[in-house]
Amino acid sequence: MSSIIISENDFLKFKEYFYRKTGMLFEDSKRYFVDKRLIERIEATESDNFRSYFNTLRFEASGDELQQLVNAMTVNETYFFREEYQFKCLVNSMLDEITHKKKDNSPIRIWSVPSASGEEPYSIAIYLLEHWSGIDKWDVEIMSSDIDTKIVAQAKRGHYSPRSVMNLSKPILDKYFIPQGGGYQICEDLRQAVEFSRVNIMEPADVRTFRNIDVIFCRNLLIYFDDTSRRQAAEMFFDSMKAGGFICLGHSESMSRISSLFRVRKFPEAIVYQKPLEAL
Amino acid sequence: MAFIKKQTSQVINEDERKTPRDFNGLCVELNHEDSKVRRWAVRDLAEQLNASSVLVTRLEHEDDASVRTAILNALAKLGDTIAMNGLVACLRSEEAALRNEAIEILKELPYEVEPIIDGLLTDADSDVRIFAVNILESLRHQHVEQWLIGVIEKDPHVNVCSTALDLLSEVGSELAIPAIEKLKARFPDEPYVCFSADLALKRIEEGSR
Amino acid sequence: MKHILVIDDAATVRLYHRNILEKAGYSVDEAINGIEALEKSLVKSYDLYIVDVNMPKLDGYGFLKEFRRQEDVVQSPAIMVTTESGNHDKILGYAAGANLYMTKPTKPNELLSYVRLLLGEVAE
Repeated sequence: MSSIIISENDFLKFKEYFYRKTGMLFEDSKRYFVDKRLIERIEATESDNFRSYFNTLRFEASGDELQQLVNAMTVNETYFFREEYQFKCLVNSMLDEITHKKKDNSPIRIWSVPSASGEEPYSIAIYLLEHWSGIDKWDVEIMSSDIDTKIVAQAKRGHYSPRSVMNLSKPILDKYFIPQGGGYQICEDLRQAVEFSRVNIMEPADVRTFRNIDVIFCRNLLIYFDDTSRRQAAEMFFDSMKAGGFICLGHSESMSRISSLFRVRKFPEAIVYQKPLEAL
Repeated sequence: MAFIKKQTSQVINEDERKTPRDFNGLCVELNHEDSKVRRWAVRDLAEQLNASSVLVTRLEHEDDASVRTAILNALAKLGDTIAMNGLVACLRSEEAALRNEAIEILKELPYEVEPIIDGLLTDADSDVRIFAVNILESLRHQHVEQWLIGVIEKDPHVNVCSTALDLLSEVGSELAIPAIEKLKARFPDEPYVCFSADLALKRIEEGSR
Repeated sequence: MKHILVIDDAATVRLYHRNILEKAGYSVDEAINGIEALEKSLVKSYDLYIVDVNMPKLDGYGFLKEFRRQEDVVQSPAIMVTTESGNHDKILGYAAGANLYMTKPTKPNELLSYVRLLLGEVAE
């Protein structure tokens, strides 16, 4: 049993700070969860008590502990059709607006970053095939990048555990996957539909060829960055996008903690962010 | 299926960085009529030493927000005296957006801010003093509490003190208690000061148990 | 019950305004800057907005300008609250779509009388 106690005022102080930095707001009902994670980090950093730990969190020059703590407070799993409302928003709202404004028949470019093991870009491809009639008329280019070479290789291979595909219906599984070795292998057509690459988004040379993107999915990544890196990443995304293009963040992330370059857009399915059409 | 792979040739054609990226060429592009070209000029100038002066000059009459953001980020990256003076000058701007963006960037530069913060905290303009306190909000610097105590002890303006007090309820320790109590006595008729002083005292006292 | 969105980057200010307004029987939500305020106001309809001027990412003027151009949301009144008392800022505030202007630090009675006035709860 730990002897560290988080008082009511410690909790409030932490709650305000964490909300300001990340946009995540813990209700009082999450108190037990928050206290438990905080105590774990206090022990892991060998801090004497909440106050000395909070001091590290707030003043540590590197900001590393804040990132550790965000990690501890979030569940970062990836599976097919995670945060499906955004894919619904893509096929029901965003793509209509994009194709409506297009003056030529150049391809629609979608960038999913980080790719992780590929569930997100493949989900986008499946969603377009299943739910977007425009797929017959328009060429679509799906790109997906990750900083980790090994994970990019895994994404290209496209082999998944039953847990990864738990949200998929039987007809979808039958149509796009082949059962293999206790898991599921994504079909060759979908493997060919996504262009995977190793990219460090903070490295200008790596992102130079990413231009004229219509939709970016960048979910559950920027929340782990410090303030400066978040702003720099937002600048890079802004430059890579077409005017009028959209960017989707994870459900616990908000552009209000990242950048002022984008405009808030409300669609029936989701709130997304848009690169302004006219000059800012 | 209508999925296709990357068409690299098309991408290169549409890149706005067509001219050579030497210093003089970039300075010319900095005044180009297309904001996209200006933005790329700024992004590339951020990599060049001695660029601060031309960027600060451009900032004075730049009206595109995306170019301004790029200039502020470039100045933060350059971080020399001219760049810092340029960022600080934004605090006196009539435009709220420019002021606030400069504050955000200064928050992230603890070592560069250290030598100038005393001057800002004692500026003749109370709004500039408030913005200086705002910079301390996220500054990762061990003197933050001391600077804030100095503000609430000496600053005559209620809003400068209130802003400092708000931060002290987050970062204050027992060291701040006497100054907070004195501040309360100094503004007994301001309900907000009394409210935030009590909140700060409560948090400090509970945190020290 | 009337819903009010308090928009301010200072946590203590939000808490102070929340306490005053909740005691007077209003329900209160908070936003830390103009972007978060837009995210909230586009999905929930508020009866009144209390808006700080200087905030990171999107300031009070920017929020109001963007909010006032939304066609499918209820255009409720807004009070701008600021430390600046110069006429220049007031003009900017009204031009952006503020209905009333208050100077910090606010006093509970003054705040409540402005709120009631804009909510049409007292005779003008």
